Amino acid sequence: MKKESKSSTMKMLNGNEAVARGAFEAGVKVASGFPGTPSTEVMDYTQQRYPDIYCEWSTNEKVGLEVAIGASFAGYRSFAVMKTVGLHVAADALGGAAGSQINGGLVLVVGDDVGRIAGDDYNDVRHYGNMFNIPVLEPSDSQEAKDLMIKAFEISEEYSTPVILKITSVICKTTSSVAIDENDTYKVKCRQKYSVSFSKVIMTTMMMNAKGSEHPKLTKCFNDFPAHIKRLAADSNDFEINRLELRGKKIGIITAGTPYFYTKEVLPDASILKLGMVMPLPENMIRELAAHVDQLYVIEDGHDIMEKNIKDLGISVIGKELFPKFPEMMRFTPDIIEEKLVPDAPKRILMEGIPFRLPVSCAGCSHLFISQILKKNKIKAAADVTCGLIGCFPHMESYSLQKCMGSSIALAHGYNVATDHKENFVAMIGDGGFWATGINGLMNLIFNDSQSTVIIVDNSCLAMTGGQHIASSEFGFNYKPENKLDIAKVCEAIGVKDIVTVDAYEFENLEKSILNAVNAKTNSIVIVKKPCVTKFKLPKSDIYHIDQDLCTQCRKCINIGCLAIESKKGKDGKVEIVINEDLCVGCGLCSTACKFDAIIL
Amino acid sequence: MQDTGKNIIIAGVGGQGILLFSNLLSKYYMKLGYELKISDVIGLGQRGGGVESHFRYSNEPVLSPFIKAGDVDYLLSFEQTETLRYLHCLKDDGVIFSSNFELSTSSVNTRLEKDMPESKTELITKSGNKTFIIDLDENKSLDFDISKMMNIVMLAFYAEFRGYSHEEMIEIVKESVPAKFVEGNIKAYEKGAMIARAQLA
Ligand code: SF4
Ligand code: SF4
Repeated sequence: MKKESKSSTMKMLNGNEAVARGAFEAGVKVASGFPGTPSTEVMDYTQQRYPDIYCEWSTNEKVGLEVAIGASFAGYRSFAVMKTVGLHVAADALGGAAGSQINGGLVLVVGDDVGRIAGDDYNDVRHYGNMFNIPVLEPSDSQEAKDLMIKAFEISEEYSTPVILKITSVICKTTSSVAIDENDTYKVKCRQKYSVSFSKVIMTTMMMNAKGSEHPKLTKCFNDFPAHIKRLAADSNDFEINRLELRGKKIGIITAGTPYFYTKEVLPDASILKLGMVMPLPENMIRELAAHVDQLYVIEDGHDIMEKNIKDLGISVIGKELFPKFPEMMRFTPDIIEEKLVPDAPKRILMEGIPFRLPVSCAGCSHLFISQILKKNKIKAAADVTCGLIGCFPHMESYSLQKCMGSSIALAHGYNVATDHKENFVAMIGDGGFWATGINGLMNLIFNDSQSTVIIVDNSCLAMTGGQHIASSEFGFNYKPENKLDIAKVCEAIGVKDIVTVDAYEFENLEKSILNAVNAKTNSIVIVKKPCVTKFKLPKSDIYHIDQDLCTQCRKCINIGCLAIESKKGKDGKVEIVINEDLCVGCGLCSTACKFDAIIL
Repeated sequence: MQDTGKNIIIAGVGGQGILLFSNLLSKYYMKLGYELKISDVIGLGQRGGGVESHFRYSNEPVLSPFIKAGDVDYLLSFEQTETLRYLHCLKDDGVIFSSNFELSTSSVNTRLEKDMPESKTELITKSGNKTFIIDLDENKSLDFDISKMMNIVMLAFYAEFRGYSHEEMIEIVKESVPAKFVEGNIKAYEKGAMIARAQLA
């Protein structure tokens, strides 16, 4: 799909960089969204490289999408970026925009974590395409990521619909060449076609008894969204981004995204229908391929969505039955396709017994202090989606409940209501999760008179995705000191009775504060402050060592979860518990855990 | 015979500069006019997680971003547990370049899993593939910490093995790293080339 013009040169870009470039070439005015692996860098690159585009990290995905919808109604092309898990938060906003009048193109760039590379659950953004009847585009490499980003805006405007650009963890992290015209200049586009844009509910309610009415007050509100999508489906048979490659007659494959390349490499003789738009489907092209081959297969990453949609057309196709989805397969690889469709290919088997790398926290992370104090004092607690969720893993066992981002405050409240506040089940939440949606849980907790304790970990950024700014950060795309939100002040204004702020590294003070808060007969908040060690590269203090004569190898220190503490075979083959000098930052937490005073400065 | 392209897996753990390594190597191949696809898969985990980069260059457009098991020409690994994870991906005549550095795995540290009883270095050399082990103890340098500069050492080792121009490679290093690190990087590069010459002799 390379469109090379005379002045264009080939540049190596990863998928995220290519999408950002596409936004620039499409003349986008506004970019918003919320960080989420693997697609966070779409925003970072847009902000760094294309100063003409207004960029913001919004407080959460729903707000981000609403900002983009507003900008689009003003007539300007805009996009919101998030991961699929984030779109669950923004789904209501997407439902509102689906089927409504679109002025400036509106694109939702969504990162699907195929293969659970970033550790998400099995989500597939295309379900939203089906549910809301909106088109989904899916690139196979960086060139297509750029081209489809531009195409998405054109489709959005032409067919009056939001468009989802689905990018995967593989697309985002793969670098390949893209034709770039260095002489290209930024040209903002503005298109004001509609004077109103209402959700489908408003629109259809007004039309209900008005069939045949030509009254302009009614007609201006009406958007015939089913007709737009029907026209799009029909036109998609002629879209360049959908490509029928007729070769051998035995095997026909319908595919999209990077699985297209896996297929082509493993089955060079197969006939392939390569879809750039996976929703709606180009029915004629599918029928043409079906008529050409003996057997039709569908090879798609994620869930069996294209497969079901193809079967709905009455076309028989093999997919899930040959390539069982979960848990057997986390994402397609060329190997999986070869195993099933090239039966005599040699098999390669991974060596047995290679130990797994369980996630651990960065050395010196403030979350480790909290996990350790909760565990030591047997305080039951809910974790949130933060770096601190590592405390849920089996070597730490600091938390017994953990669900989605921003949830822990309401989870703890629910637990405490059900148990008549006899246990004080504590909530731990990061500052990112607190601003994203946790603050709603806190408001709810106060006005429903809950006596719960919330620990808010203030590390001055959204650490898990690489340190993006949040409302309480002291930096950011649009940062001004006077606009920085103060967690303690906001909590106080919401009505929390008991608020303390503690430095994470003051172990005794922190432990006392948490115990005081838990025992107080009122709602309480402990704000634990320490900038993220990785983002802000804190200066190292003196590092700790383990005195091998005193160490009994009880491994209490290892179970605090610090990356710097290792068990290693020494030269004589004997196992020793040691501190990795390169990684230790000297926070001292491990020394509080050792009962034998073996950990010393 | 003209080199029509190769499939390379670069493996290690977070913080070892693997992305810089693949970036430097890609610049070399781009200068030679090859088509490239590089897929960087950073595993689950905050720090100390596994990092795996699939690096393919070819004189024809590269299709799959992932290299099929059995199609790997070179395995360049910065950590020996990670080396083991990719041995089965090598072609029969594929070549292994591995550091003997080891970052103990968290599951073993916490006794959720048993460590492998055998020596990992021995398991690697027993694979039947041509193998080069870069021994950190034997190659200590007074000028720099070799375990922190493994990416540049590996780059020089690989360049020597392939018979590439060290001048051009050093030029790429100079263009790509911040000025204050250039001197240290060049020292590491020269060391890597020396280790390679000794082993290849
Ligand atoms: S807690 Fe102390 S005694 Fe136990 S393994 Fe660690 S250093 Fe050794
Ligand atoms: S002092 Fe202990 S807990 Fe803190 S970083 Fe060093 S090894 Fe880890």
